[in-house]
Amino acid sequence: MRIQNLGGATAVILHRPHPTVQALDRQLRAIGLQVSQAWPDLGPAALGADFVFFDADMGHDEQFPWAPGQSPMPMVALIGSEAPGRIEWALRAGAHAQLLKPVGDNGAYSALLIARDAFDAQRSLSVEIADLRRRLDERQTVVRAVTLLAAHGARDDAAAYGRLRQMAMAWRVSLEDAAARVVARLTAAEEEVDDRRDRG
Amino acid sequence: MVGRRAFGVLGDALGKDKRPIEVGLLYSRSGGYSLFSEACRSGALAAMARINADPAYDMCLLPIERDPGGDVDLYGPLCEDLLRNTRARHIVGCVTSWSRKEVIPVLEKHGGTLWYALPYEGFEASDHVVYTHACPNQHLLPLLDWALPAHGARAYLTGSNYIWGWEMNRLARERITAAGGEVLGERCLPLGSREVGRILEEVRATRPAFILNNLVGPSSYEFLARMHRLASEDADFSPARCPILSCNLTEAELPALGAAAEGLVSAGPYFRTGGAGGFGSSLEAAAHAAVLELARLLNGRPDAETASLPALLENAQGPAMIDRATHHTSLPVVIARVQDGIFRTVKALPAVPGDPYLARARTPAAAPILRVVS
Repeated sequence: MRIQNLGGATAVILHRPHPTVQALDRQLRAIGLQVSQAWPDLGPAALGADFVFFDADMGHDEQFPWAPGQSPMPMVALIGSEAPGRIEWALRAGAHAQLLKPVGDNGAYSALLIARDAFDAQRSLSVEIADLRRRLDERQTVVRAVTLLAAHGARDDAAAYGRLRQMAMAWRVSLEDAAARVVARLTAAEEEVDDRRDRG
Repeated sequence: MVGRRAFGVLGDALGKDKRPIEVGLLYSRSGGYSLFSEACRSGALAAMARINADPAYDMCLLPIERDPGGDVDLYGPLCEDLLRNTRARHIVGCVTSWSRKEVIPVLEKHGGTLWYALPYEGFEASDHVVYTHACPNQHLLPLLDWALPAHGARAYLTGSNYIWGWEMNRLARERITAAGGEVLGERCLPLGSREVGRILEEVRATRPAFILNNLVGPSSYEFLARMHRLASEDADFSPARCPILSCNLTEAELPALGAAAEGLVSAGPYFRTGGAGGFGSSLEAAAHAAVLELARLLNGRPDAETASLPALLENAQGPAMIDRATHHTSLPVVIARVQDGIFRTVKALPAVPGDPYLARARTPAAAPILRVVS
């Protein structure tokens, strides 16, 4: 794994003024981040931050300008009381890593790297899941394309499916995208035939 | 000689009307890396003697020594002993990063400060440590920037089995592969081990363009002696064709190496021929600078020695040696090669601030600013 440097990255600390904030601020600046503090709410400016550290002890959903678990950047929970309810909330809020309070001389660097890795992993999984979902949803299109190709000269369903796969490869698109094109073309062709028949 | 200096520290102190300030010295005077310790210790003691003899300083610094004898498990307890049982709040000491990391929790607990005068692998900026020697942007990276074009990008990496060897090799690998080069092999040895046979075999088999040596103490001496012998048998391994580079080799270790030192390349802030200001080595100079800066920060400020490091730096007058965000210092970079037993400068670069997280002094292309893609 290549450790990218964090120079110039921005972090927002969502915590009431407290020695923990000072200690964290110092650590983050030493690492090379630009740091700002926010309390009681994260303003819209936080949307552009690269990292958010948030108080798990006094925190609530309304502090964030996004839905719980939907942060557009890695988030680190600052946990003081290790009460199950608070940890549960911090997880639901979307913590990718945690730092225990009181924050002292260390911990921020590993929290940054772990949070970013977890965030990246989560994001790439979400993209993959969304793609799989879309492809699942498009199964019906594939079925229609196979039926249409079978009606337009393919020997049988298996041969129609084979043709569809070849088209997808030739066009360098997914099977689902190829199916959508086939459906669009053949449906248009059929409609044209129908039109002509109506006019004729 | 060192003993006489130590006596001088106290002797000068007794005659003057100066406030006494105890300063801890935590160096291993025996064990595998004692040459580093002795260099730092003599630099620190010389600086104390100088402060104590100088009427411009309102203090005399009294060294209180503890010797862990090279046993890493004794650093924490002896640091605690200094902070609990003496008036010392500032400790000049530690050679290995391993030992430094052992004392940091103790410093945090008791509010002490460590002045660390050795090159190290970076990625640390403790609120309780001042780093007066070089970190990778001041040694390894400029050394590789010079070596890759000069000798080629096929490298063999070796080091001692602890954080120094591991992180230096990791960073070197990252840099070398990013430059399109290749790491032909990497092998670490336990601290103190002389079992270098396997490394020699791998070097002989892979025939690298250069070797990065992050071994420490006896492992390094054995490896270099064996490489010297290999070079005399096979010119492919001569220093001209396959140089051995390191970031912690100074004049302090040349006596242990003898003829095997010939042709070794090292990066550091100074070498004796390149402006070390009369010091025996950059280690001595860095420890000396640490004590002088401590004295400057305490001078004319009664009880300042009990303040935390951030408080001490916050109210400091005059030009600051220590960066307040990172507690590192700005140092020149010299790449030098041993020739006839003396380091000769190969390349010298102007002073650059210590950048422990490699976050600052890089070109925008090399350091993309992180942006969230939503």
